[in-house]
Order: sequence, then C-alpha cells, then structure tokens
Amino acid sequence: MKTVNLMSKSTTFVYSRTALAGQVAQFLRNYYIYFVLIAIIAFLSAANLDRFDLFERGNFLYEKNIINILRVSAPILVLAGAFTLLMVSGYIDLSVGSTMGLSAVIYAMLAINGMPFWSAFAITALCGALLGAFNGLLVVRFKITPVIATLITLSLFKGIALLLVQDGVSAIKSMGDLRMPQWFNAYGREGVLMGLPMAFWVAVGVTIVLIVLQNRSLLGKYAAATGGNPTAAKLSGINTSKIVFILYAIVGVCAALAGIARASFMSLGDPLSGDGMELTAILVVLIGGTAFSGGEGKVLRSFIGALIIMTLTLGMLTLVPAYYQTLVIGAVLLGAAASNHFISKKGQTLSE
Amino acid sequence: MSVSIKANKTLFANRRISDQMYITLLVASVATCLFLIASVLVPNFFQLQNMLNLVTNNWAVISLGVGVTFLLVSGNFDLSVGGIVALSGVLSVWFAQSIGGANALSTGLGLPYWLALLGALGGALAIGALNALFVVKFRIPSIIVTLGTMMVARGIAQVITQGSQRNTNLPDEFGVLGSLKVFGTSIQLPVVFMAALLMLAIFIERKMLFGRLTYWIGANPTAARLSGIDNAKHITYLYLFSSAIAGVVGILLSSEFQSGYSNRGMLMEFDALVIALLGGIAIAGGFGSVIGMFFGAIILAVVTSAATGLTLSPDWQFILKALAVFLAIMAQTWALTRRNQ
Repeated sequence: MKTVNLMSKSTTFVYSRTALAGQVAQFLRNYYIYFVLIAIIAFLSAANLDRFDLFERGNFLYEKNIINILRVSAPILVLAGAFTLLMVSGYIDLSVGSTMGLSAVIYAMLAINGMPFWSAFAITALCGALLGAFNGLLVVRFKITPVIATLITLSLFKGIALLLVQDGVSAIKSMGDLRMPQWFNAYGREGVLMGLPMAFWVAVGVTIVLIVLQNRSLLGKYAAATGGNPTAAKLSGINTSKIVFILYAIVGVCAALAGIARASFMSLGDPLSGDGMELTAILVVLIGGTAFSGGEGKVLRSFIGALIIMTLTLGMLTLVPAYYQTLVIGAVLLGAAASNHFISKKGQTLSE
Repeated sequence: MSVSIKANKTLFANRRISDQMYITLLVASVATCLFLIASVLVPNFFQLQNMLNLVTNNWAVISLGVGVTFLLVSGNFDLSVGGIVALSGVLSVWFAQSIGGANALSTGLGLPYWLALLGALGGALAIGALNALFVVKFRIPSIIVTLGTMMVARGIAQVITQGSQRNTNLPDEFGVLGSLKVFGTSIQLPVVFMAALLMLAIFIERKMLFGRLTYWIGANPTAARLSGIDNAKHITYLYLFSSAIAGVVGILLSSEFQSGYSNRGMLMEFDALVIALLGGIAIAGGFGSVIGMFFGAIILAVVTSAATGLTLSPDWQFILKALAVFLAIMAQTWALTRRNQ
C-alpha cells in the first residue's frame, strides 16, 4: 500500500514539475523578446550614468535621443512586418536593400522634378509593388529558388538604380537649377505627433495593418499553412502561388516605403542607401523568433526585434568605436539563432 | 526518365552521358559562345593574353568557389568565405608586424613570418569550426549561420585594423608570396595555387570516396545517414576545407598588396555563390561539379570584361550579371526537363 502511494505521489510531482517547466518555456518563448529590449535599454542607460544624469541631456533615456533612435529606425520598422509574413510562408527576399535604393532614387527624382509629395509617394509605393511582384513572378512562374531569384533581382535593381543616377554623381540631390523641394525631408525628420515624424507613424500603421492581416485574415492563415507544410496546403486547396505572389508584392511596397523614409531622412536619393538591409531584415526577423524554415512567427515580435537591433547599434556608439558594430551584430545574429533553437527545442520536447 | 526504358536499352544507357556531364558541357559551350560573341563585338578581345587574364584575374573567386561548390553539393551554404579572406589577411599582417611601431596600427605581435601565417590560417579554421558547430550540432540553417560568421570574421578584422588597414612596419619577406613569379614566367604563385587546387578538387570529386559521399549526402541526407555515413563529420571537414582555402586566399591577397585591409573580400562570398550557380550546381544539393563552377566563373568574367571593353558604364555590370544568372538558370532547368521527358 505504502509503496504504491509513494509512487503515485512522486509521479504527480514529476508531472507537475514538467508542466511547470513547460509553462516557463512557453512564457519565455512568448515574452523573452520584451525582456531583452528592456535589458538592453537598462544596460545602455546604466553604462552612461557616470557621464550624464538619468533623463537628462546626453543620457540614453533623454527624450530627444529616444525620438532620434525611433526616426532613424523608421525604414527597418516599416519593413520588418512584411518580411516576417514572407518568411512565415517559407520564402525569402534578398533584394529588399536594392528595392529600397531604387525606390529612394525614384522618389527623389520625382520630387526634384516638381511632383507634389503625395503623388511622388504613391508612385514610388506602386513601383515598389511592381518590383516585389517581379520577384514573385520569378519565384512562382519561373520556379526559380527564392534565394537565387532574389539574388538576381538584388543585382538587377541595384544596376537600374545606379543607371538612373547620372554619371559622375553618387546620388540624386540639389544641383544647379534642380533643387530639392522644401518639403522633402519633412516626412522622415519633422515631428508631427509626440515629436515623431510621419515616417515612424506610417511604420506603426503598416505594422498594425499587418498584425490584423496575420491574425484575422485568410491571407495570414494561408501564409502560415504554406510555410508549415507546402504540400498539405496545396492539397487542401490553397492557391499557394497566389499567396506567395501577394506577399512578395507587399514586401516590395514596404521596401519602397523604407526607401522613401531613408531618402527623406538623408535628403537625397542614394542608390546604395539600402545596402545591407536584407541582412538587417533577416536579423530582426530571427530575433523576433520567426523560424527560418517557415510556418511560425509574429509581426509584432519582429517590430520589437527591429527596436532591439536599432537600440543596440545606436546605443553602442556611446560606448565603443563604430568599428565594433559588425562584430557585435554578427555575434547577436549567431546568439539569436542559437537561442531560438534552444528555446523552441525545449518547448517542443516538454510539450510532447 | 522511366526505369523500364533504361533497362531495355542498356547498351545505349551506358553510352548516354550523365545529367551531370550534360550540364557541364552546356555551361562550357555557353562560356565559349559568349567568348566568341564578345570577340566579335569588342575590339582586341580575341587574344591569348586576354583569355589568360580572364582566368588569372579571377583566381581568388575561383579558389573560393571550390570550397563553396563542395558545400553546395552537400546541401549547405558557405557565405562566410569573404569575411574569412579579410580576417586571415588582417591576422597575418597583425602577427607579422614588429613590436614598437609609431602608433597602435603599426604595432603588431612581432611573430616570425611562418608563425604569423600559421596563426592566420588558424583564425580562418576557427571560423570554419564555428560554422560546423552551429550547422552540425545545433542544426541551424547554414545560410543564417554563415551570414553570422561572415559578420563576426569581418568584425574581428575591423576591430584589429580599427576600421581601416595595417600596412606599415612589416618584415621584408611579407610581400614575397603574393607576387612571386614561378618558372621564370609571368604566372604568379596565387594562380598556380588556384590551378593546383582545381586539379586536387576535381580528383577528390571524381575519384575519391570522400567526393562521391559528398554527392550522396547532398542528394539525400537521411538515406546517407541510415546507410552508415557520418554526415556530421563529413560536413565538418567540408567547412574546415572551405575556410582553409579562404584563409590561404586572404594570406596571399594581403601579401600581394602588402596590407591587411578589413574590407577586402567584400561581396566575394556572393560572387563565389553566383559562379557556382552559373556552373550548374543545384542549390538543393547533390548535383554539380567543380569544372562547371570554373566555366561559370568564365561566363561571369567574359560578361563583365566585355562590358568594360564596350566602355559601358560600370553600373551595367550589375544588370548584366543578373541577366547572365537568370539565363543560365533558365537554360539549365529547360535543358534538364527536356532531356528527361
């Protein structure tokens, strides 16, 4: 009698401990990213305390510093959500940096030739959609592997952007009779609400739309199904080609918005302004916990991931020289990939 | 390609060349055609010296392409090679610089030259080992891992050179390796290195068990593992092999320019990937060859140098590169489907 009791007791104990560990793992999986962001901000504020007072000029939590970080981050913030949806469906776009550069050039060219803000904005966004759709066409219709297809367009879009800028000049900017209009850098720089510029609020708006799209629409569900198991998705009647094509177009639009934000912030249309953006986007999405193999990931978490990366890269400048940046970002990427792996593995084995 | 037809015509099936050889021949003939077209269009293109230059100017990318090809065949990416080129070059300079320079960038560790080279190679191998650890042990997709190690390798190089370059206070023998002319001809040691590496790679790929196993692992990793092959060990060796090549390339380049520059080898990983793809190597693994990669490099070299010869703006190179890759991929897919119908 006694032994049986003991055994059953110990079994329940083991069971509840497993359940608890599972809950902890689940909690960590859902919310660790917010703790990382808070930890980084706390660290950067503390590291600068000896030089400045908290909330005072120069320290990390100073209002102007926060505004500056958020408006510099606008391009990656607007891109992160769409990139997440694409990766959730198991595809990738390496051409976002070139799309961004080309859009920046187109936007600056339209503006410098006297087109008003909204029409230049709309036309550039439309161009972005077309560039994204071209990617989708290569992947869906010509059936080229996403990595190769978007490597091709990375080169192609960059070449077009460089050709649009005339020889001997590095970017579209005020020259001779052609002058950039007064409004040109208002979009990326001038605060409209809470001191933050239009570009940032557009990024927030796009993210909210994408969150609704992911959680409440068929597109979001089908994207996850396509990434989770392409064959099953196809067999259950989902037009995966159409989904992937739409997602590439959305990424194109968002990359164009990122290009507009960057061009407006820097007051010039630089064809190389998006270089390296594909790496940043992959990094941000991975930090947000999206599985590279597809099927899993959340738009909001990528948004937070983008904030983490931008806070870290800009905050680091107050502590170490700029040439440490590549090393730290690389280490963060490896660390994020490894921790993603361990957290999801732990959750899986315990819940099974 | 149905089995029954093949069984009926055993005699012909034996004579029929493999898909592999078919694609390699296709790539080689495309390279030749492009060269002939360029010879018609571009003045002074059809010259022996120019043909040699097409190969010798690209020795670094072709050498890197060997390691990348083997890894692609096994179903893995290696995007870290460009970063390793920068790292090993900077390390070899830093180790060899003598102690007590005028400032931080001209002061090194003052090691003997041979030890500096060994150290630099060790640094390269360490990155390769890191790749293998993350890909094999943690099972993280290789494209992410090698993107990360690319940044880590280049990041270390940037920290050592403080974002610029180290080129002073070097021993006299430092510049010898990269500019040594062999056999009294104008052929330099790096080119000989590339040629020897190509020979070795083709031999391993065609004649040795190691090479054949690479194909098997790439074609079906699960089947390979179930039939008793140690996939993990094999892929570890491949990553070490690739990073060792990149390390040697970095050392030779830094010796040729007598400087350790942290941005050297920028985008070389993408060029190595592109020439491998042009050469018909399937990104899914299990298909492709080093010879194909070599002709892929020739295609790219002909396109870019013809563009320069036609005095097009350098901006055209990006568009031509994109067009070349697109056409090559489409042609290969089309040829294979048609053949196997």
